[in-house]
Amino acid sequence: MSAPSDAAAAVDTPAPTTAAAASSGGFTFKLHPLVIVNVSDHHTRVKAQAACSGDSSSSSSGAGAGQPPRVFGCVIGVQRGRTVEIFNSFELVLDPVSGTLDRAFLEKKQELYKKVFPDFYVLGWYSTGSDVHDTDMQIHKALMDVNESPVYLLLNPTINLSQKDLPLTIYESELHVIDGSPQLIFVRSNYTIETVEAERISVDHVAHLKPSDGGSAATQLAAHLTGIHSAIKMLNSRVRVIHQYLVAMQKGDIPVDNSLLRQVSSLVRRLPAMESQKFQDDFLMEYNDTLLMTYLAMFTNCSSTMNELVEKINTSYERPTARRGGRGAFM
Amino acid sequence: MAMDAERRQAELIAQFSAQAAALSSAPQLAALVLEATSHPALFAFSELLTLPALSKLAGTQYASSLDLLRLFAYGTLKDYKSNSGSLPALLPDQVRKLKQLSVLTLAESTKILPYDQLMQELDVSNVRELEDFLINECMYSGIVRGKLDQLRRCFEVQFAAGRDLTPDQLTNMIETLSDWLGTSDSLLHQIQEKIKWADTMSEVNKKHQKEFEDRVEEAKKSIKLNNLSRQTSTYGGMTTFSLNLEE
Repeated sequence: MSAPSDAAAAVDTPAPTTAAAASSGGFTFKLHPLVIVNVSDHHTRVKAQAACSGDSSSSSSGAGAGQPPRVFGCVIGVQRGRTVEIFNSFELVLDPVSGTLDRAFLEKKQELYKKVFPDFYVLGWYSTGSDVHDTDMQIHKALMDVNESPVYLLLNPTINLSQKDLPLTIYESELHVIDGSPQLIFVRSNYTIETVEAERISVDHVAHLKPSDGGSAATQLAAHLTGIHSAIKMLNSRVRVIHQYLVAMQKGDIPVDNSLLRQVSSLVRRLPAMESQKFQDDFLMEYNDTLLMTYLAMFTNCSSTMNELVEKINTSYERPTARRGGRGAFM
Repeated sequence: MAMDAERRQAELIAQFSAQAAALSSAPQLAALVLEATSHPALFAFSELLTLPALSKLAGTQYASSLDLLRLFAYGTLKDYKSNSGSLPALLPDQVRKLKQLSVLTLAESTKILPYDQLMQELDVSNVRELEDFLINECMYSGIVRGKLDQLRRCFEVQFAAGRDLTPDQLTNMIETLSDWLGTSDSLLHQIQEKIKWADTMSEVNKKHQKEFEDRVEEAKKSIKLNNLSRQTSTYGGMTTFSLNLEE
């Protein structure tokens, strides 16, 4: 699967490097959300800085006049057999003159990361852009001495609202025979997203930000209720399927399957989910506590509004005589 | 989680059914029944009951084995005790299995099983033995999941594996399921109404807020006009008056 470096040396012209073919290598890629967030953050920062400074950023290679500059970096993670899991990433500086990455910096960063995460290896590199560029293959080959088969992660920063998938593609390099000579080309691979609990919490949090930034408590309530509604709807449809199945079994349309019947009976036994007296007591107590707190909050609100009103009336109806040490109007 | 117990049994059931199909003589089938009922992991007997080979046992001297199998499929320890005359003596393995099955039957009717009832059904005399039995035989084998509450002397069942069903139980289950569907449908309806209510209330609130702001703006404008007209006539105190209202 890995391309030998002498074959790579034979190819000196940057041949068209994209392939729509799917990878045949059999590697399974698992990507963590942290990497995606890192790459998009890097891109956004560089774009903002370039726009701020007003001149076209020097870290671009092949960037057009209106395009945001491309950013580059390294991805690190663990490779166990055929599963490649990409955990983290860090940024790299691309030398625009020679078109190569800063090796000293890469080594230093690698060393630092090794100390903190001894299991992680440099698995490949990332970049932004809408499609693979010709110069990417050079960088890819340069990284081959670190990892014999690096992966190339490409993030498409253009926002496409109709697109449902992530604008992220993972490319592997494969040796294909084109026009009689073996050449390295990029082939697209599939990937899945793996999350650690901490990542899941933060992604969940960000996903929920959207409705609440508009809104009042009522829209939050509506969003929450909508979530519950769809969950119950799913449960409803599944129970309906089981119900129809049982009816058909009773009528004799379907042969009796005892093992399934036993499972359904144990499922039905789980209802009602909660019936003890203790549950009722606890539930009512919590309900009353919440009501009490809402009442108290309302009270505080009212009294502070009242206070403001009284102050305003006092100030506005203050008679000139009051300045001579007379009494206040109302209080 | 429910499916694990079933999956384990599926292999055993297949194995026993294959064996029963292979055997033909009555004593061998009776021995097979004995083996099946004492096997520590097998709790499902309706497949074996429906095998045509076993119906041959009925009417012979081994008919009691068939009755025994039927008892293990549908009955409890109490049933055994009341019919102990007509059924063969049980091995300790079988007694243990019958006790486990009795627990399953009890768990079918109520979710909270008081220790006294359990002790009576299972024929144990002290709480310690009962708890040991529940923990070792029932929970570790995965057929029951729940919590033991020693203070209130009860066993709260969260999950119990299903036993073999008699045909009339099937009707009950269908009824329960349709009730469940009805309840969840009405719940969905109510949630939708609540969502609509929440949206309407927030609309009303926004409108109210806007109206209020409009009136404040109007009042401010009219005061300014007043102030301008009055400033030409009087000076002094009126300006102080209008300044205070400016907030």
